[in-house]
Amino acid sequence: MDRGLESDNLSYTDHHTAMINLIFFTILGLALFGSFIFIALQGSPKSLPDSSAVQAVTEIIALEGSSFANARRLLDDTDYQALCSNPDLRRLAQRLRNDRKQLALTWISSLQNDLIRLWRFRRFLIQRGVPSSMSEELRTLQALSLSLVLLSFIRLSIRAAGPFALPRATRQAGQLVDSMSTGAALVLGRIPAAGWAEIERSWVKSAA
Amino acid sequence: MFLSGAICVAAVSLELATLLLLVSKGVWRSYRLFFVYATWLFLANSAILVTFLYLPADSHTVNWASRVYPALYWNIDSIDVVLRFVVVWEVFHQIFPKSSGLNKSLSKGLAIVAFALLVVACGTFLIYQNYTGPRSIHLALDRSFGLVQALMILGTMLMARYYGVRCGRNVRGIALAFGGWVSISTATNAMADLAGPFLPYWYYLRPLSFVVMIAVWIWALWVYEPNPPIMESEPVELGQWTEDWNRTISATRTIIRP
Repeated sequence: MDRGLESDNLSYTDHHTAMINLIFFTILGLALFGSFIFIALQGSPKSLPDSSAVQAVTEIIALEGSSFANARRLLDDTDYQALCSNPDLRRLAQRLRNDRKQLALTWISSLQNDLIRLWRFRRFLIQRGVPSSMSEELRTLQALSLSLVLLSFIRLSIRAAGPFALPRATRQAGQLVDSMSTGAALVLGRIPAAGWAEIERSWVKSAA
Repeated sequence: MFLSGAICVAAVSLELATLLLLVSKGVWRSYRLFFVYATWLFLANSAILVTFLYLPADSHTVNWASRVYPALYWNIDSIDVVLRFVVVWEVFHQIFPKSSGLNKSLSKGLAIVAFALLVVACGTFLIYQNYTGPRSIHLALDRSFGLVQALMILGTMLMARYYGVRCGRNVRGIALAFGGWVSISTATNAMADLAGPFLPYWYYLRPLSFVVMIAVWIWALWVYEPNPPIMESEPVELGQWTEDWNRTISATRTIIRP
């Protein structure tokens, strides 16, 4: 631990590979150190998910966004065009457009909530010992992040250009929840109904 | 010289305190692998301290006695690089016990990731061609595997956080202090090879951070607080639930895509 350890004559090389190697280790080492400090400062994670996850247990079968029946109608601009064609009804057309815009935004928010709820619920199940695999977990995470990004993009487009700008993409947003639901279904399918009731009871009990 | 000696004495004293703490409270039974590693650290660093005091290295004279300390230091350091995996395994094993469903689900995937990380460690060690002597080789070995160990610990902690697995004070303290030390050690020893002027700081920064790690371990083990058990569900007869769920999904599909 003292200077006597420096028995070799170090030649501080300017070799590119070695330099890149050393810079890589320095940056990554410091980044990792920062991560550990961050985790230490954050404190211990909660042993159980929050109350919204508890809600997921009871709401998982009745997902709000997915159960909305009139997505096609909501994003269909036929009524709007018909109203616009009559100069006297243009104001009404504008109001219709605004109403539809608000409804579409609410619907997208619900879909996002559904996705997050499904994801949390899945995590909960895996934590409780329901069998899964690493690749399955990674696929779910990938599906979730892509879906959330796409939904956020659709929200932005609705805000900027109105509800009729990207009707097809918006309608297809519902399919994202489907794919997440299928992933969750795979996991849920590994638990018996009796086991599920027990999970819900213990979860609610712990959260109380 | 004096500061190096003081750090060395502090490290050995704290290691002894850790061992006494583990034995006196009987905690060692719960953390056997960690206890093995702590014992190793105490014995190895005691040997280093004794050599440092009685056979100090001297760069001006070339005789067998002056070579003992550097050789012992670097060889012990290299053995330590391998033994550190014991701590990684202990942390993983404590957070995801073998009997838990999480372990059963993820162990195969994590084993592949761990193997890949080991290959990366070996690769980065072999790629670095500028070894000018034993010191340089040991430093490269230390940082290549240190980085991987830090990543493994961080991955385990993040995975626990992701699944809401609660870590007790003992494991959390051991893991965070160890991860922090291994990562700072990786960075400082890369800097020592990268920039000559940093070398004097490296001589103190690495052992000082080691002393801090042992101090945090003592704090973590002061109160016995193991990880709370993971509540498990019984995966039996899945038929009815699968049927109900599939019915719901198909209903949702029909609503979204009429």
